[in-house]
Amino acid sequence: MTETRYDSLWHLVALGVLTPDHDPDGWLPNDVTRPSRVVMIDTSVAMDHPNLQGAINRDLGFDLFSTRLGAFAGLRDADRIGDLGFGNAAALVAGLPGCEALLAELMQRLCPDQPPLIDGVQPATGPVFSAHGTAIAGLIGARPAVVDRAAAHLEDDDDPTVPLPYCGIDPTCEIVPVSTNFDDDPEQLILAFLYADLVRADVIVLPRGIPDPFRRTPELFATDLGTATLGQLVLPCPVPDRDRALWAELAELIVKLSLRRPIVCAAGNENEDYGIYPASLASDDNGVIAVGAVNAKGWPCSYSPGSGLTVWAPSSDGTRFDSAEVRLDPSDLRYDDHGIPANHQNARFSHYQIISTDVPGQGGYAASPYTGPEPADGVREYGSFFCRFGGTSAASAIIAGLISLARGLGQIACNADGVEAKAWLLAQAKAPNPAYPNLLVPSLGGRGYKAVGQ
Amino acid sequence: MTDLSILRSFSFMVSADDLDLVEREQMPLASAMSAMSAMSVMSARTALNRNRNRNRNRNRNRNRNRNRNRNDTANTAVTGGILEPWEERAALYALRDEWMNLPLALPPSLPELRTQAVELLRKQVLLAQAPHAIRREEILIEAELELSRYLRPYGIETHGGYDATIALMLTVLALTDEIGLYYKARWNVPRPNQVEPRLRPFLPAPAHASYPSNHAFQSFAVAFVMSRIIPEHPGSSELFQSARRIAENREWAGVHYACDTAAGHSLARMILPVLEKVLERQMLAAQAEWL
Repeated sequence: MTETRYDSLWHLVALGVLTPDHDPDGWLPNDVTRPSRVVMIDTSVAMDHPNLQGAINRDLGFDLFSTRLGAFAGLRDADRIGDLGFGNAAALVAGLPGCEALLAELMQRLCPDQPPLIDGVQPATGPVFSAHGTAIAGLIGARPAVVDRAAAHLEDDDDPTVPLPYCGIDPTCEIVPVSTNFDDDPEQLILAFLYADLVRADVIVLPRGIPDPFRRTPELFATDLGTATLGQLVLPCPVPDRDRALWAELAELIVKLSLRRPIVCAAGNENEDYGIYPASLASDDNGVIAVGAVNAKGWPCSYSPGSGLTVWAPSSDGTRFDSAEVRLDPSDLRYDDHGIPANHQNARFSHYQIISTDVPGQGGYAASPYTGPEPADGVREYGSFFCRFGGTSAASAIIAGLISLARGLGQIACNADGVEAKAWLLAQAKAPNPAYPNLLVPSLGGRGYKAVGQ
Repeated sequence: MTDLSILRSFSFMVSADDLDLVEREQMPLASAMSAMSAMSVMSARTALNRNRNRNRNRNRNRNRNRNRNRNDTANTAVTGGILEPWEERAALYALRDEWMNLPLALPPSLPELRTQAVELLRKQVLLAQAPHAIRREEILIEAELELSRYLRPYGIETHGGYDATIALMLTVLALTDEIGLYYKARWNVPRPNQVEPRLRPFLPAPAHASYPSNHAFQSFAVAFVMSRIIPEHPGSSELFQSARRIAENREWAGVHYACDTAAGHSLARMILPVLEKVLERQMLAAQAEWL
């Protein structure tokens, strides 16, 4: 009989971060002298999640969703933002005139006497619609927690508290959420990356793609249809010259910034060769890290290519039924034998899924197992604190957290740049599966990926 | 200081439906399965998936297994799909201080508007030419703000099972229509054909003021709301493109300046946090259709 239950922290054991007994594997939290700072450019985060207490830097959290030059949601009750210790990004934008102009605007906005919110525009950081960012933050830096039984909405018991034994890969780090919308707006992403540099990120994680019309499917612009390229003709609206220049500068900025600080990018969930943009910017001589997904058994997840990326990290698997591979889940009640070729790869499928922190209560990926709605306030029980998560989003968060932990532990020098951090990562990476020699999975100590659920 | 000792004492175990809190000292790892039922100190009914689609976080939360036909595709005009959203309007006005004074840029001066109108003249000439037949059709269809342009990026135009998403879009359109009229009335900017009489709008210019464009504001508001609900869906970025096309088509029709479009976008972005408060319940209901 197949074991169907599994450890919610299996991925940390597989990566050599925790022992099977959930002790730190060869390191101690006390070994971290300076916690790493991880900037995540994604959606907002449910900061009050019990497992995220101490993980999120509320003062530096920056929202670009609704405010062009950013809002400080965590400081909203203050009159002014004060001195937040920003660095200097002048050298970063040299030669990029659009970025230089935006940096000048941003530096004005970040002056200590500036208000947290601009002209009353509120940040779009409400916790209810923060599912993606909350899951990302938890995978990176959640801490084990204990909550009151009442807060977990469990019935009274002798013990008034409930443990929440969950943690991220680097429970010592500090996360700075930079929340964004998904408009095809180069300015917003440039500001996000500039901010990541100004707060001196040790690691930047981008668990999303960027909808750059020129770089999403670049081959369209190589197809000439006489009057214009295919790429130009399929644009619903012409892109203004300024935006076009900014998109080009953004690509340059990401590469330049990656030389200073590693930028960990999700490679996409639809078998994209070399990854989606900007993961596709990864090369040997920059610090962009394109992350694919590997399942618990050590096979590339069905939605992730097995070569052409920088590294792979554990994530939830998916099913696939196409000419490249038939990988289905025979334990699924809807599984149907009809039409399944003899050379299927169902044995590669893994039911192990990534668990992460979820928006408590009504919002988030996991709401309630009950037929009625969740209560308007609070949650029915602790299950609402967690969800299944997956994709290369999860994998990129795990890699960002691994770099963060290594940096905190001094395995990556505190003054290491993005290229050096990436070199450390690759030095720890091994191929767990002989069938995929280029599928490299880093682990703490470089001891190799411990596949499970075979 | 980070205390990881809880991890040693307790563990979460994952099964198909539940997340079980287990006391680890009692759990021999070698025979976890047999020990599990006896050792679970709590097995809350913790459904980690809300429903059937386990692959939701992989951008695949689109529409598989949802092939029921919708029989009321014609019934998606703004006025036809929902009842008058009086509760939402009441909630909106309860928060009036949060949206009546947003820092929208002042409209351009009349000389600047005349300059922008020259571009509209160029568009007017081009619109009459054969290559722009599709755009002419779009302008006519979009005159009534029907929903197909918002549903198509998600591929749910002909699918059932998205009633809450559709109701949410209609409600956003209804509320933002009113908000947009409030801002239009503040500046009372003349329509392009009032500034440039040589313009012959392809559509009759509405009787209200030009700045900001409500088509832009409403369409982008839908896009920003969806960007909060299902940001990881590829359609959410595509919806912004769709909104931009709808807004720009109003310029081609000669009823809006480019500045109206930009102001509509800006207002939609700034007002999202307010809409999120007013429409939280409706947004959650819509989100449940995708997760």
